[in-house]
Amino acid sequence: MSRYDVNVLLYRLKKDGAFRERFRRDPAAALRAAELTDEERDAFVRWNPRRLNELGGSLHLVLSIPDLGAH
Amino acid sequence: MGRIVYAAAMSHVLHPPYYEKNVGPHGKRMVEELIAVVGEMGRELAARRPDALVVVADDHLNVFSFDAVPAMCVRIGRSVSRMAQPGAVEFDRALDGLAERYPLHEDLANRILEDGLDAGFDFAASWSAPLDHAFLSPLSVLHGDRPMTPLVPFWVNCFVAPLPSARRCFAAGQHIARVVASGPWDVGVIATGGLSHFPELSLTRVGESDPEFDRRVLGWMERADHASLTALTTKELHATGSHELLNWMVLLGAVAPSRARVRFFGEMGRIDLAAVEWAIP
Repeated sequence: MSRYDVNVLLYRLKKDGAFRERFRRDPAAALRAAELTDEERDAFVRWNPRRLNELGGSLHLVLSIPDLGAH
Repeated sequence: MGRIVYAAAMSHVLHPPYYEKNVGPHGKRMVEELIAVVGEMGRELAARRPDALVVVADDHLNVFSFDAVPAMCVRIGRSVSRMAQPGAVEFDRALDGLAERYPLHEDLANRILEDGLDAGFDFAASWSAPLDHAFLSPLSVLHGDRPMTPLVPFWVNCFVAPLPSARRCFAAGQHIARVVASGPWDVGVIATGGLSHFPELSLTRVGESDPEFDRRVLGWMERADHASLTALTTKELHATGSHELLNWMVLLGAVAPSRARVRFFGEMGRIDLAAVEWAIP
């Protein structure tokens, strides 16, 4: 279940510029409604791509989110 | 009677700045050499005057999101657009500057889809999926300044487990060959991706490839050892970062029993690059 939610958020961060901007301003608020485990939420809020990938987040997404890519 | 008049497979990030940034001057030089070879292959493709080009490639989580991920999908309709990615980074920048719309070969796409369903291949169909770099980066190099051949984009799910088997992808290619043989068109077949990179799709292993595995696989293609190729498991493909070989499996089924000729093989470190052609009778 959680892997799906992690990837849906990564996908949205890549494709939805307005959401990405909200996330960059206040990650915790942008993710408030998302169904995430505490560990997943923490990885997003601290923007830890390696941890997100370990938690099942798509490598290609974590590499290619504008301004947040893993490299 | 239709014929497959040209068949080739190649790496699909043909974008020197990507390798310059991630690998350095050595990576940039190597992909520039590959681009020159793919350009030559494109001139040979044009000389065969195909009516349509079936292009087998994968989606990098750009098109199908996670609402539904088809194992294999045929793009139908009359035209297809380039993926839009404002603020593109990394491999998505390979789309920079490319045309926004491309023609489709609607009749051949419909035949592959409809005959496929009749034959037991439960292909998905899309009227709207755009093309990312997996299609457009090699196609733009193959065509150069020439007009784009009408396309039949064919997606294979290479990244979202569970993946289709190598054997099933090969069978899908055999189906495509039967459709071509029963129709009136001269058709080119292109597969893209790879070779080994991003083992286990793990961020901590980005930068690794498996040249020994790649040389073994290319050897099998040169000898037309399709039994060994189709026996590859998705677990092996995942471990070595060879997920995109599933695209090549479709092409192998379409051109069997032809042998491959390796036009380019380069060990870069981050990825092994290749361009391969098949001897079509």
